[in-house]
Amino acid sequence: MSAADIELVEVHKHYRKGRIDIPALDGLSLTINAGALVAIMGPSGSGKSTLLHLVGGLDSPTSGAVRVGEAQLARMSERELTAWRSRHVGFIFQMYHLVPVLTAAQNIELPLLLFHMPASERRRRVDTALEVVGLTDRRDHRPSQLSGGQEQRVAIARAIVTDPDVLLADEPTGDLDAKTSEEILNLLSLLHADFGKTIVMVTHDPRAAAYGQRVLHLDKGVLDRDEVNPRVAQAVRV
Amino acid sequence: MPTLQRDWWALPTLQSTNVTLTYVLMRNLTRNPLRTGLTAVAFALPMGIFVLALSLVVVLTEAAAKNEKQLRLAVRNKMALTGYLPDGVRRKIEELDPQRQRLRAVCAMRWFGGRVPDTQDTLTSLACDVDTFPVVYSDFELSPEEGARWQSERRAAVVGDGVARTHGWHVGQRVELKSTIPPYLRLEFMIVKIIANSSPPNMFYFRRDYLRDSLEADGATGAGCNLIWVKCTSAANLRALQQEIDALFANSPSETKSEDENAFISGFVQAIGDIPGLARSMALVVVFIIALVAGNSMMMSFRERTSELAVFKALGFPPRRVFGLVLAESLLLALLGSLLGIVPTATGLALIPRQMLISASFSPPRFSALAVVGALTIGIVVGLLAGVWPAYQALRLRTTDALRRVA
Repeated sequence: MSAADIELVEVHKHYRKGRIDIPALDGLSLTINAGALVAIMGPSGSGKSTLLHLVGGLDSPTSGAVRVGEAQLARMSERELTAWRSRHVGFIFQMYHLVPVLTAAQNIELPLLLFHMPASERRRRVDTALEVVGLTDRRDHRPSQLSGGQEQRVAIARAIVTDPDVLLADEPTGDLDAKTSEEILNLLSLLHADFGKTIVMVTHDPRAAAYGQRVLHLDKGVLDRDEVNPRVAQAVRV
Repeated sequence: MPTLQRDWWALPTLQSTNVTLTYVLMRNLTRNPLRTGLTAVAFALPMGIFVLALSLVVVLTEAAAKNEKQLRLAVRNKMALTGYLPDGVRRKIEELDPQRQRLRAVCAMRWFGGRVPDTQDTLTSLACDVDTFPVVYSDFELSPEEGARWQSERRAAVVGDGVARTHGWHVGQRVELKSTIPPYLRLEFMIVKIIANSSPPNMFYFRRDYLRDSLEADGATGAGCNLIWVKCTSAANLRALQQEIDALFANSPSETKSEDENAFISGFVQAIGDIPGLARSMALVVVFIIALVAGNSMMMSFRERTSELAVFKALGFPPRRVFGLVLAESLLLALLGSLLGIVPTATGLALIPRQMLISASFSPPRFSALAVVGALTIGIVVGLLAGVWPAYQALRLRTTDALRRVA
């Protein structure tokens, strides 16, 4: 069980489209404590996904510093970031992005291929992850044989199977109905509460954001509001 | 890697999974079975043709090498192959080396243009000098008994295995040929030898004295020949005699053109069509087509899976492994398709007796390990070529852009 804090200092991220310079993040600074569950909201183009990608080491800032635990991401090379991601970050995507030709168990096992780990240990971790997300009886089902909620559970199991410090969820309920969304959010809350994972979740949905201890509102690349959700903050033991 | 320490993390194994990248690779091929199947077939058919074409080239090349060893020099009328040379030309050639140190024997031949009656099957039928034919064509390996029959039987014929198989002929059988050139003689022959692996397979040799007597009996002249074969003792002697013979008859009414057997055959064959050249061109076209097909298939496959490859990168798979995964998939598909074409073709060529494929006009390709290795190599190269661009795209793929496109 491990978690990491996150710190962004004066982070700028600009994209170029032809000759046009598009600022996605404009001097953003914020801190997220280890073991926190934070929701990020904001209109389209506000920089939510960019922030998630920077924290996940999928992209580098134009300027500024991004630190996750001990790692100064802005100073790391592409190769170092790749290796770091495999050990410290778990991603959960809106569209699940499971490999359709593999079973649920095999999808979950994929990230473990990056580690020198005995097959028996891999099996044990996969079984455990399946148990956590409540899909033990669906282990040999292909994604096409699962419902949207079950697919997202498999994606969550894939994200936690390496025991990462940080879980990054990009619109994890964006493709699900209300009831299934609630199940997924409860699962994320469980991972947060029982295993102390730092979870950063980007969402458009206020009901999903309500599961966060903090809700960060971004607008035009800057932090517009930083709200604390007292009900969740109190309930969660960090 | 940090380890989870919760109790539930130590739950016993329920079932085995154990996925590997090789397994992922194999499973990817089943993702779209129809497309994989069609691409594999698109590889298999041209690869089968490629093996056939290359086997044919190998057979022809081997035949050429075999001919070269026979040290035979073809002497013909310089004006045209159909032109006649006087019978005295043979004697004059023999007089160039009375001690028989540079040339072994000289055999004159006359074109008969024989056709099997009631068929359209015109054979390469040549009337040959009875005394020197077995020496000049020692590679036909006439046994002492067959040689004796050739000498004693005026109607003796030595025939290629292709024509023998086509018409069901056997040694000792009497057969008839009708000439397609005036005076259109119809002659009866007795087969004394069937040449194994005859090239071309429709050869029909018989005695020139029998033709001459028959022509004269019909009121025509039996004198003259179209072709004289000179069996030499060495390659150096062959080249020297080639120049000496042409020089000897220069500025005479019967000017000659001498060339070694391969040059003669290739000139003769190219008059009909450059078969080896055609086979090579066909092979090149085949390679080009399958490269396009495979490349297109791999690009489609890559485009469909852009987001999936991006997720592999997001999970922490190094770009070079993603590159390898795409390239290996292309290679695997190419190998699968190639084997699908190569194995049945090569097996067929290896197992089906040549006698079943041979015909009077077709010298069949034979199993050639070189053709198989060549086709496999081409398959691998094409697989790599087809996969390298999509793999490079995967290598350069920006994870954030790819994920954004989907979301």
